[in-house]
Amino acid sequence: MTVFRNFGRLGFGIWALGFGICFTTLLAQGQTSQPAPAPAAAAADAPSGPAIDLSGYWTPTMNEDGMERGGGSELHDYGGFPLNEAGRLWALSYDPSRVTLRHHQCDAYVTPYQMERDPHTQRLVAIHWWAQVTEGHRVIWMDGRPHPPAWAPHTFRGFSTGKFVGTALVVTTTHLKQGWLRRNGTPESDQATVTEFFVRHGDHLTNTTVVSDPVFLTEPVVRSNDYYRAPVDHGTWLYACDDSEQIVGRAPDVVPHYDFGKQPYAREYSERHKLPLGVAWTGAASMLPGYADAAKTMTDAQGTALLSPAPGRPNETSKAVDPEPRDGEIHVLPIRANVYMLVGDGGNIVVQTGDQGAFVVDTGTGRLSEKVIAAIDKLSERPIQFIANTSFLSDRTGGNGKLAAAGMDPSLPGSFFVNSAPRAVTGLFADPNRHATIMAHNNVTNRMQDAKIPDEAVPGDTYLEERRRKSHNGDSIEMFYEPNAVTDGDSIVFFRRADVIVAGNIVDLTRYPMIDPKNGGSVEGEIKALNDILNRTNYEHEGEGGTYVVPGHGFLADEHEVVEYRDMMVIVRDRVKAMVAAGATLAQVKAARLTADYDTRYGSNTGPWTTDMFVEAVYNSLKPAPKTN
Amino acid sequence: MKLVGIRAAAIAVATTLTLATLSAQGRGGAPANTPPPTPKAAALFDITGYWVALVTEDWRYRQFTPAKGDYVSVPLNAEGRKVADTWDPAKDEAAGEQCRAYGAAGLMRIPTRLHITWQDDNTLKLETDAGTQTRTFAFGRTPTGGGTFQGASAASWDQPRAIFASPIPNRGGPQVRGGSLKVVTTNMKPGYLRKNGVPYSANAVMTEYFDRLDVPGGESLLVVTTEIVDPEYLTTPYWTSPHFKRVDAEGWHPTACTAR
Repeated sequence: MTVFRNFGRLGFGIWALGFGICFTTLLAQGQTSQPAPAPAAAAADAPSGPAIDLSGYWTPTMNEDGMERGGGSELHDYGGFPLNEAGRLWALSYDPSRVTLRHHQCDAYVTPYQMERDPHTQRLVAIHWWAQVTEGHRVIWMDGRPHPPAWAPHTFRGFSTGKFVGTALVVTTTHLKQGWLRRNGTPESDQATVTEFFVRHGDHLTNTTVVSDPVFLTEPVVRSNDYYRAPVDHGTWLYACDDSEQIVGRAPDVVPHYDFGKQPYAREYSERHKLPLGVAWTGAASMLPGYADAAKTMTDAQGTALLSPAPGRPNETSKAVDPEPRDGEIHVLPIRANVYMLVGDGGNIVVQTGDQGAFVVDTGTGRLSEKVIAAIDKLSERPIQFIANTSFLSDRTGGNGKLAAAGMDPSLPGSFFVNSAPRAVTGLFADPNRHATIMAHNNVTNRMQDAKIPDEAVPGDTYLEERRRKSHNGDSIEMFYEPNAVTDGDSIVFFRRADVIVAGNIVDLTRYPMIDPKNGGSVEGEIKALNDILNRTNYEHEGEGGTYVVPGHGFLADEHEVVEYRDMMVIVRDRVKAMVAAGATLAQVKAARLTADYDTRYGSNTGPWTTDMFVEAVYNSLKPAPKTN
Repeated sequence: MKLVGIRAAAIAVATTLTLATLSAQGRGGAPANTPPPTPKAAALFDITGYWVALVTEDWRYRQFTPAKGDYVSVPLNAEGRKVADTWDPAKDEAAGEQCRAYGAAGLMRIPTRLHITWQDDNTLKLETDAGTQTRTFAFGRTPTGGGTFQGASAASWDQPRAIFASPIPNRGGPQVRGGSLKVVTTNMKPGYLRKNGVPYSANAVMTEYFDRLDVPGGESLLVVTTEIVDPEYLTTPYWTSPHFKRVDAEGWHPTACTAR
């Protein structure tokens, strides 16, 4: 980052003389935190020269949304945002105390909000951008490269490409993290995309931002921000953040939030400004002319109804991009050092390479095992020595047999294990020269044997309690048992040196966690497992980067995605728990649509794991055990 | 750094020469007696049609009439605050001055639809359905209409030249396609920046840049970057950028001014 910053400050002269493309190349070589495809052959209209000079220091005028850009927006003021039901409920459920949680304290601002909030924007040098608040560093690629694939990591700044159209710099941004459209909890999802226009009029810069977010918005929201040119360096760029204990002794599974219909401050905004309850919660209608007249007729009952999900409606379903390539190919995403994520076989696979042979975590569904093996062969000169399974589920173990057969474990021939426990006895360590060793928690082996899975696909190297460790390829690899999370056999795998955690299906960014009470899963175990991951992560800068977390499904994550997933899990648990405590039946819990603010991100009404199944799993793991005589 | 500086200077010279050459070529092409195109023919973009305001900023202040004295984020001076604190909508109504918030300096931030047409080859007409107001933008001549709420507006197509000439073909150059409609409005009858009586004076000068932004694969936007300088009531220029989305005529609903 230091290198980037220094280039940024030197870059003014380079850019001013038309060397933006050269500068872009330097940045492309230096960019490692977000893997991106190599620049494509220059498309005819993609690279664009400098039409206008945007370099220098810019300061916002603050004449619009002064409260928002200064002291802060008022609670429950979402007027002018085309929020859908999920967005409205997410915002209404938001308790500002959430930022006291350790893993939220250093959350940076996402790009659309950064532009809205930032009082000092650092010099914009070609594609290099530095902003004061949360040290917002952006790179706007001008060389025509494509955006990364759906499984690439997301950042608070996102991945931006730009080109000049007439006198405007037009920037397209994808791969954003979940964040805010407004500081009072108005949400922006990690599926948002942003189009920005930068237009200069003399020493005035207008930034128009168009945010499309299928998860939380019914239509794009357009915002514009004004800046004036500052003649000198603002000189206040550092915004270092360290998290700390804000509330000592708080239980790790507490996430501040408000239950539907029970927001204690819901009336504050309307009463203060003498407006009908709920006028700021009606979404797209609130943006348009004539709204004031329509709002005059709004009743208190109509406003109160907006505090909760609309009854009787079917659950919404996920609007997120499918991160699975589904092209019959295996795609390799370098994570860090000698660790890679393989995508394409129905579940994320991780491969660590080195002189001791490949160490593989999970093997996908097995439908594309030959291609998985071919991909590993390209990454590793040595065959697979170890396979670790994070669960017995078929998307974690489906390729075990073929991948194990493609590997070998040179540590076993002639060893105690083979000589004293030949295949005839255990069926698990036969032909070590022609078979990798499969590791997992012992419950994985039990479940797979119960399911009559062929021996060659069943883990033979198991552990029983909290931890299994191994030094391999120069890294310390730890498997931690997460009892009763999704199932009773879940592990997370931590590559300590590479700083990569493989979470398996404990973190599934494509849907709600497939908690399976019949196989030992529980909501409390799932929350504990998510917190165990967070206890081992660290961020690199302003709440992102640092420890990478590979989910069972979905894009390569870091702790921010895990903490949002943990928050969701805790909030849903608390809502269900409250209804269970009040004696509600499963049907009543389902009818209450307690996941309505998350369904557009994780929900499904079809397939192997529906929202109703998830709610039922949560309900069943929370309901009191039947009384026995 | 020294090396970079020398190289930069050399490239600057080359850039300037290239710019001058290309610029000269651009000027030399037209026959001497050809009349310049009319402003309508020379339009940098099509601004005509219907546009609807998207009130996404200062939402409460724009959608609802704020309380008297609520002038957050407007850089009023002491005199401006004094005037704002005496706002009396009943008095405006009694005086037939219900349209004081619909003057040019306040009109574009009112939740409204716009209908923009060419009145003639040299004049653009901008109508609003909220308050049923009409502004005219005169190109190439001294505008008329001063002393009214809409004042006198002089218009021009503002097409900045690129500062840089790239030595690489098709990588920029001195002539930049696109640009803005620039409108300078003066001689306005005093009115309100906000409906709750936040004032501007007859000495206010408003400069607007209308930019049409076409979202790739999406809608067309009209962003009006606005600077209001008012030595009588403001301490600094007041910058806003209301924006509009292109729509069809449906929803056009002229209404009278309201003072409250």
